[in-house]
Amino acid sequence: MVTQSAKIMSKPLLERFPFPFTTDSYRYSNNSRKLDPPYVLDITPEYFEEIKLKRELLESRKEQTFQSFPHSIEAQWEILEMIMHEMVSIHPNYFSLKKERNYWVFRNHLLGEEETFTFGDLSSLPYEPLDFIGRHVQEDLVYLGQRDGKLYMDAGQLCFPADWSIAFDLGMEFLEIHNPVPHAFSGSGLVEKVRDFILRIEAEQPWTRYNWTLTIEPILDTAPETFGEWGPKKGNVTADNAGQLVNLRVEDQRLFRLPRSNGILFSIHTHLITLEELIKNKQWKYQFYNIMDDIPNDIAEYKGFISYKDEILEYLKQRIEGSSSIK
Amino acid sequence: MSGNTIDVVVEEIRCESPQVKSFKLKPIDTSRLLRCGGGSHVKTYVQIDQNIYENNYSLINDPDQSDYYQIAIRRNDESKGGSICWHDRIKEGDQLKISYPKNHFALSFSAKHHILIAAGIGITPFIAMAADLRKKGKSFELHYAARSKELCAFYSFLNSVYPDETKFYFSEEGNRMTTDLMKNQPIGTHVYFCGPERMINEYSESAKSYGYPDTNIHFELFVPPDFGPMEPFQVKLNRSNKVLEVPEGETLLDTLLNHGIDAPYSCKIGGCGSCQVDVLDGEVDHRDFFLTDKEKQEKSVICTCISRAKTKNGSIVLDL
Ligand code: HEM
Ligand code: FES
Repeated sequence: MVTQSAKIMSKPLLERFPFPFTTDSYRYSNNSRKLDPPYVLDITPEYFEEIKLKRELLESRKEQTFQSFPHSIEAQWEILEMIMHEMVSIHPNYFSLKKERNYWVFRNHLLGEEETFTFGDLSSLPYEPLDFIGRHVQEDLVYLGQRDGKLYMDAGQLCFPADWSIAFDLGMEFLEIHNPVPHAFSGSGLVEKVRDFILRIEAEQPWTRYNWTLTIEPILDTAPETFGEWGPKKGNVTADNAGQLVNLRVEDQRLFRLPRSNGILFSIHTHLITLEELIKNKQWKYQFYNIMDDIPNDIAEYKGFISYKDEILEYLKQRIEGSSSIK
Repeated sequence: MSGNTIDVVVEEIRCESPQVKSFKLKPIDTSRLLRCGGGSHVKTYVQIDQNIYENNYSLINDPDQSDYYQIAIRRNDESKGGSICWHDRIKEGDQLKISYPKNHFALSFSAKHHILIAAGIGITPFIAMAADLRKKGKSFELHYAARSKELCAFYSFLNSVYPDETKFYFSEEGNRMTTDLMKNQPIGTHVYFCGPERMINEYSESAKSYGYPDTNIHFELFVPPDFGPMEPFQVKLNRSNKVLEVPEGETLLDTLLNHGIDAPYSCKIGGCGSCQVDVLDGEVDHRDFFLTDKEKQEKSVICTCISRAKTKNGSIVLDL
């Protein structure tokens, strides 16, 4: 299925990895920045394998990977329209789109696929619009409806969750969604501020932020429903093998106002890198050590690595040995 | 100018009434405009000689239109110039910049019934909102007050497209619109007002007295309300360690911007909350319509575009 007709050019992982830290200490804050350039998509060489995995998950675990309310359909079309326009204006080599009134022909040259459909007519697509367009991009896509000053999770295609579930969260309001997050974010007044900030996001002025955690082995689909498969691997980490087993997992999250439905598109692009690879960048090595050394226990526990934090610290310390100071 | 702008050309100008003209704006270098929901507006930037006039106007085109935007403007002889430039200087073929659309007047999702109430040029946001409600099959009614049929912009349009939903009130014929129309409406009704400040105050007060919850009352102001004198005061900027004097008659936001401080803003009339800044010390005279009464009491923030220090020559400290 995968053709070689178009190749994705890119820098090595270490040079393009979105390192999420700017200081030597990590605390919750509204770390959102203006997104420039203002695009949804980041197409990396992992495109082919990630799309393949996404589609397998969508077939084998449909309920867990795609959820929507009927009242989200209009917004789903708006998201499909926005992403397709970005695809053809920014990546004309990879995608093309022909429109004759509402009759659209969409081509994905990377995958050698073509789909014709009538814009606005659900029966002309094999899946709901968000589910359809999500199968052509590496990002997970979540739609939040804005209603009477609140944000509700109304639809989402989520194949690569960092241990949360779209089936569980569907219909929840922004504050409820963030209930499990430690007090420093949820319960300190910060989550309300972030919500008010999102309510004021304007069309064509998107925002971005990084979220991060750690994952054992390069596993993208760390869903709570399959915890039994990936969770126990945490027990395998030692100071010797941490470099190969432990991955820094960074989510490039982006927030867009959808002016037609007045809702928000929340996209998540997940990047993984082994610690072994990460610490080839010296500055990152020191910074990551300091972050780990300083992280509050409740955050380490919530993010799920408190049980092997000491092993990571030991691993990093051995790699830093010899340099005079850690700071 | 804050934020990105779109270059447009004035493609068509139409007289909608002796005082109201509508303008069709087509994008110059993009193939399409964003579709945007009922209640959206754009800021227009018209340059005449050395002056740039910034004004917000509601979009009256169909929400699914992506080839052009359309606005309607009433000539206001008392204004500082924006509407007069549009009426007297702008010609078909002229180019100008507009902002991307914003929506501070969105339709409620949960309303069981929508009542749109317009006075004069306040009709503009409701034209697109009515189109949106019709498409979604929602229940609504439109009440529109004007001096006379001749001065009533979009009369024949509304009469032909929404004959069952629209009710006109012409004061010269002795037919006044009153707040009674909001009485005895089904539970779950939301009311929306657009018109002069006096009208909005009257309808908001009445709606509250009839038992409408705050969340069911929506309105859009196009001119900042008059809160009396704008006395001078002092502001300390904690992070940049500066002290600025806000002169009489100038807003705090303008003082900040004039001093090169990158202060956020959008509507500039106290309606959207974009310009909120944390207040570390000092008492605020809240003049905005964005914060709830509770927030004004409990939260230490100020909408810099409109609110001021509580006392003349008083001082406030901002987290900027
Ligand atoms: C509207 C878009 C957003 C959605 C849909 C969303 C959703 C979520 C979800 C589902 C979780 C996991 C909660 C759980 O454990 O079940 C989470 C965690 C979190 N969210 Fe959001 N979020 C959004 C925007 C933001 C923004 C703008 C911030 C800015 C500060 C933020 C901050 C956080 C933090 C700090 C966590 C904890 C993450 C960690 O420590 O690993 N979220 N979010
Ligand atoms: S800029 Fe909108 S409230 Fe101040």
